[in-house]
Amino acid sequence: MASERVVGGLTCAEVLAHLGDFLDGELAPEVLTQVRAHVAGCGACERFGGAYAAAVTALRATEREAALDAEQIASIVASAASAASAAKAG
Amino acid sequence: MQGLEQASDHDLIALVARGDHAGFAAFAALVRRHGPSIRRLARALTDDVAADDVLQEAMVDAFRGAAGFRGEGSVRGWLFALARNRAVRHRASARRAEIPDTPLLQLGVEAGYGERPERAAERLEQRDALSVGLARLPPEEREILLLRDVEGLSGEEAAEVLGLALPAMKSRLHRARLRLMAALRETGGSDGE
Ligand SMILES: [Zn+2]
Repeated sequence: MASERVVGGLTCAEVLAHLGDFLDGELAPEVLTQVRAHVAGCGACERFGGAYAAAVTALRATEREAALDAEQIASIVASAASAASAAKAG
Repeated sequence: MQGLEQASDHDLIALVARGDHAGFAAFAALVRRHGPSIRRLARALTDDVAADDVLQEAMVDAFRGAAGFRGEGSVRGWLFALARNRAVRHRASARRAEIPDTPLLQLGVEAGYGERPERAAERLEQRDALSVGLARLPPEEREILLLRDVEGLSGEEAAEVLGLALPAMKSRLHRARLRLMAALRETGGSDGE
């Protein structure tokens, strides 16, 4: 990694460290400007940032889990009921 | 009982805390609403077989603890935290591996920095690539990706569930994402050229 090269006031290593907050929209405005300037002038970071964003986008697009079936819900409610009556009896 | 499916989590918990008939109906509504996500977390931390037990135990814990729920955080985060506690007990015998403290730059290189990082993204177009990649991560990293990115908890919520300070949560999240990219690059065939 060209970690010492400075573009837009940041090294590639610094951009790597900021990538998570960059994608989550949590960078302070002045750092955000620097990261944008770096990525605009550094092909390696631009490509890497794109791949990172694609991975996070895929995670966020994960399908919702299938619903529990009625039997499983009934069984969980029954365990709670027996836990409750055991607590009353004890 | 009408309207339980529309009731807020906090209202449901308040009903559950009463412990009467309406409480059981509210509890069933909570199980229906959050059960799938809780089971997914449980599966990520244990395995398919233990996951249903973890789900059941965590929900019973929630039932018993409803009266003590203080209502400061989200109900969902609380349920995730209960499930984590139960999952840890199931894993107690299987020694948990420490997350290697790899330097960030090295993680970046392993994730493809400077060398076709697109490969990770290309893999994502293959069916099941994401779940195969996630399965290769240590449970702690799978867990944070699940909570923050898949389930969409806020940074603060995820930090609370995990018992981490916000900066530590962010750092673990970033590393887990990089490790996932590396895992995606490693999965699949040798068609990366
Ligand atoms: Zn760069």
